[in-house]
Amino acid sequence: MPSSPELARPKATVLGALVEGWRRVLAAPGIAAGMLLATLLVALPLSIVVGRSIESHLGDSIESGQLVAGWDAGWAAEFAAQAEGIARTFTYEILGFGGLLSTLSRLLDQKGPSGQTGIVDPALLGAIALYGALWVFLAGGLLDRFARGRAVGASAFFSACGVHFFRFLRLGLVIGFAYWALFRWLHPLLFTSLYDRLTRDLTVEHYALAIRALLYFVFMAALALVNVIADIAKVRIVVEDRRSALSALGAALRFIRRRAGRVIALYLVNVIALLIVGRLWMQVTPSAATPDWLAFLAAQAYLLARIWARLAFMASEVVFFQGELAHAQYTARPLVRWPDSPSVEGIRNLGA
Amino acid sequence: MRRHFWFAVALALVAATSGLSARQAPSRSPRNASYTLTATLDPVNRQLYGSGRLRWQNTSHVEATELRFHTYWNAWRDEHSTWMREQRLSGYDPLERRADDDRGSIDVTTLALVTAAGSENLLPQARFVAPDDGNGEDRTVLLVPLPRPVAPGATIDIDLGWNAHVPRTFARAGAIGNYFFIAQWFPKIGVLEDSGWNCHQFHAATEFFADFGLYDVSMTVPTGWVVGATGREQSVADNGNGTATHRYVESDVHDFAWTTSPSFKDLHVRFEEPGFQTVDIRLLLQPEHQSQADRHFAAARAALKYFSTWFGPYPYDHLTIVDPVTIVNARAQGNSSGGMEYPTLITAGTNWSQPWASVDLENVVVHETGHQFWYGVVATNEFENAWMDEGVNSFATARVLAEAFPARFVRVRRYLGGLITWKYQDVRWSRDGVGNGLNSYRLDPSRDVQSTPTWKYWPGAAAFVTTYDKTALWMATLERRLGPATMEKVLATYYARNAFAHPLPATFFAIASEVSGEDLTWFADAVYRSASTFDYSLEQVSDQPAGNGSTDSTVVVRRRADGVFPVDVRVTFDDGSAVTERWDGRDTWRAFHYRRAAHVLTAAVDPDRTLLLDLNYTNNSWTSQSRAAEASRKWSLRWLTWFEHVLMTYAFFT
Repeated sequence: MPSSPELARPKATVLGALVEGWRRVLAAPGIAAGMLLATLLVALPLSIVVGRSIESHLGDSIESGQLVAGWDAGWAAEFAAQAEGIARTFTYEILGFGGLLSTLSRLLDQKGPSGQTGIVDPALLGAIALYGALWVFLAGGLLDRFARGRAVGASAFFSACGVHFFRFLRLGLVIGFAYWALFRWLHPLLFTSLYDRLTRDLTVEHYALAIRALLYFVFMAALALVNVIADIAKVRIVVEDRRSALSALGAALRFIRRRAGRVIALYLVNVIALLIVGRLWMQVTPSAATPDWLAFLAAQAYLLARIWARLAFMASEVVFFQGELAHAQYTARPLVRWPDSPSVEGIRNLGA
Repeated sequence: MRRHFWFAVALALVAATSGLSARQAPSRSPRNASYTLTATLDPVNRQLYGSGRLRWQNTSHVEATELRFHTYWNAWRDEHSTWMREQRLSGYDPLERRADDDRGSIDVTTLALVTAAGSENLLPQARFVAPDDGNGEDRTVLLVPLPRPVAPGATIDIDLGWNAHVPRTFARAGAIGNYFFIAQWFPKIGVLEDSGWNCHQFHAATEFFADFGLYDVSMTVPTGWVVGATGREQSVADNGNGTATHRYVESDVHDFAWTTSPSFKDLHVRFEEPGFQTVDIRLLLQPEHQSQADRHFAAARAALKYFSTWFGPYPYDHLTIVDPVTIVNARAQGNSSGGMEYPTLITAGTNWSQPWASVDLENVVVHETGHQFWYGVVATNEFENAWMDEGVNSFATARVLAEAFPARFVRVRRYLGGLITWKYQDVRWSRDGVGNGLNSYRLDPSRDVQSTPTWKYWPGAAAFVTTYDKTALWMATLERRLGPATMEKVLATYYARNAFAHPLPATFFAIASEVSGEDLTWFADAVYRSASTFDYSLEQVSDQPAGNGSTDSTVVVRRRADGVFPVDVRVTFDDGSAVTERWDGRDTWRAFHYRRAAHVLTAAVDPDRTLLLDLNYTNNSWTSQSRAAEASRKWSLRWLTWFEHVLMTYAFFT
C-alpha cells in the first residue's frame, strides 16, 4: 500500500483521533455529498408514492389550497384514517424534530405511536434494508479512503467497496444476530421483567422515569458495545485486508479489551457530536409554514451535517486504530506479489 | 325565558340551602336510597371492612318482592366474570401479569331486614344472578328475596356488612402503594322501576346507575393520612390506636367514593363569581405535581362557570379534585384511577411534564367537572344509555375548552416512555377533530347502533367511539343546524327539567324537538337509531358551451354511504355569482344543471360543514383551481426529509 507523503502520523489520543477523523472527512467533500445523494435517491421513490397518494386523496378538492398554506390537522387525520401502505406513515410526526424522537422511541420501545409492535413500520422495511445494504457496500470504500487519507478516485473507491462487501456481509450475519439477541432477550428482560418489578409499587412518576432512563442507558450501552465491536472489526478488515470476518471480530475484541477506556471515550465523543448536530437541528427545524425550498435546504443541510458526523465517527475509529497499532504503511498481510496465478506458477515450473 | 326562570329558581334554592348541612338541606331528589356506612381500611393487607344501614324506599308502582344489589368488585375476583370476559373480547386481558393478591372482591357478610322486633337475616336466601348474559360465574348482582313484599311508597332498613379486598387498580378503583381510591366499594342497591329491577351486571363498556339518597360515611384510616370523599368532612376523630375516623356527609347524590393517602398535598380555593354559586374547590395533589395546582383550579373554575352559564347551576357548594398516582407502567402498576367522576368528587390525572400547550390536564378536569351536571344531577342510566352522560359531556367539554382556552393547545406526544415530551406546534387542537372526537370516530364509526343498550356494545375502544365521539359529533352537528343559542337552550331545558330524574333518551329528543320547534325524529333516526355512516361527495363538474356565449354546467353530488342527511350544495361561478341548493340527501346521486354566461369556479356539498359525521370531508368539494399537485409536492418533500432521517437512524447500526 503506497504511503502518502502528506499524511501525518496519526495521533493515538481520543481527541486527536476525533480531530484527524473530521479533517479527513472534510477533506473528502465528494464522499459526504455522495452519501447525501444516495440517501436522497433511496428515499425519493417512496416519497413520490406518498405524494401521489396525497394528490389522489385531494383530487380537485378545495382542501388542497389549505394544505398548500400549511399543515391542516383535520385533513391529515382524515388522510391517515384512509391511507394504506407507505402512505400510512404520513402523519404529523413527519413535522420537524418530533419525527426523530418518534423514530428513536420506536426503535428503543419496539412500539409505534399507535401501539403497533416492532422497531420499524413494515411499510418502510424494504427501503431501510436497501439503504442498510448500501451502507454495508460503501463502508469498505469509505474506510479504505479514510485509512489512506488521500484522494483515491472513484475506481479505487468502488473497488475497495467490492473487495470488502462480502466480508462485511459475513460480519453482518454475526453482528445482526447479536443485535437480534439484544432485542429478543435483553430488551424484554430489562423493559418488561425488570421494569415491572421495579415500578410495581411506585407512586412517584419521576422515580419510574428515572428507572426507565437507567434501563435505556443499559440497553443502549449494550447496543453501543455491539456497534463498536462491529466498527473496529470493519476497520481491521479494511486496514489489515483481513479475509475472515470471524478473525476480524476476534481481533476487534482484543483491540478493544486492551484499550477499553479510550475506545469507549472515542465512541462517546462521536455520539456527543451526533447529539450536538441533532440539538442544532431541533433549534432550526422549519415549521409547516416555512417556504418549501427553504425547508428542504435546511433539512438537507442538517442531513449533510449528520452524514459528516457519521463519517467522522468511522474516520476517527480508523485513525485511532492506525495510531494505536499501525501507521499508514502497516498492513497485517505481506505485500501481495503480482502475478500470482496458477498459470504463471505452471510456466515457472516448466522452466524448472 | 323559561330557561332563565328555572335557572333562577334553582339558584335561589341553592343559595338558600348553602348554609345548611347536608342533612338539613331540603330534599332536591327522591332520596330513596340513603346509606349510613362505616369503613375500616387495612392498608397493609388491602382489606376493607364495611358495615352500615341502607334506608330504601320503593318509589315504583309495583311491589318489591326482592332486592338486588350491585357487588361490583366481584368483577375482578377471577377471569370468569362478565367484565373480564368482555375485556378479553376487546383484546385486553386484565389479569395478565396480575398476582392473585392484585385482584378485587367483595363478600357480603351481613344482610338483614330491620324490623320492630330486631332483624331478619336475609343472607341465607341471597344468590348471585346474571340477568344480562346468564353467566353463572358472574357475581356482580346479588338477588335477595324478601320475606314480605315492600309496597309502593314503603320504606325499609337493611343492615349491611361486608369484607372487600382492594385490588390493584381496575376500572379506576384500587390501590397502588399507599394510594387508595375506593369506589363502588359497598353493596349498592339497584333501581326498581315499574318494569322491574334495573340492576345490570358489571360490563366492560359501562359505568353505573343508582338512586339518589343521603350518604353519611365514616372512614377509618391510619392517622395522618389525608382523606377526600364525596361530600363535606364533618369530623375527624383520633381513635388513639394509630387510626383516625373521618366522617363525610352528602345529600342528593347517588354514589359515594373516597380516597386516602399520606402523600396528598391538600389545597383549597374558592370559586366566587357574581351570579354563580360559590363553590369550595379542594385539590388533593400528588407532591410532584405541585407546579400544576393552578391549572387544576383554573380548569375547574372554567367548567363551573361555563356549565352553569350555559346549562344550569351547580347544585352543591363544594368539589374535590383528586390527582391520582400517575401510572407509567400499567402492566405492573395497574390501571390509572384518573379521569373519573363521582358526586362532588372527581379524579383528574397529569404527568410531571405537562406543557402549557397540552390539553390533557384541562380536558380531564373540565370533563370530569362537567360530569357533575350530567352524571351527577341528571343521572342517566350509564348501563343502558351511557351516551346521555359521556357523549353530552364530551360535546360540552369541547365547547368549554374552545371558549375558555382559545388557541392554546397543540398536539403533544410523550416519547421514550414519557421521558421526553414534544410539542407539535403546527398541529393545533380543534374542537371538532379532537374535542368532539372526529379523528377517533372515523376509525370505527359503525360498530354498534347507538340506541342499543350500552352494556351490549362491543367493548373497548369501539364502545368509547360510539358513546363519546359519535354523540359529541351529532350534538355538534345539531348545534350547527339549530344554532348555538338554540342548542344551549335545548340542553339548559333538558338539565332544568330532569335534574335528579333519570331521564330516558326519548326525553332528550322530545325536548330538542320542542325547543327547536322542529320535529327531530328524522335526526334521531339517522344518527342515534342506526349505525349508518355518512359520506357525501362532489362527484363531478362539467362545463359545455351552449352557444350565444353561455355555458351548460352540470354539478353532480353523490351519497357514498348509507347514512342520509339533508345537505346544502353551493356552486360559485367565475362571474362572481353563487347559488345554494338544498338536497334532502336521500338519492345516491343528484345532478344540478345551470346555463349561464359563466363557468363553475367551485362546488361544495355541505359547504358549512354542518354534518360533522361525514367521514371524508375532502371529497365534498371541487375547484377549477385545484392545488393538489402543489400540495402533494410540498408535503412529499417534507416526508422525504423525514424518511431520510429514518434511514440514517437505522443505518447507524449497519
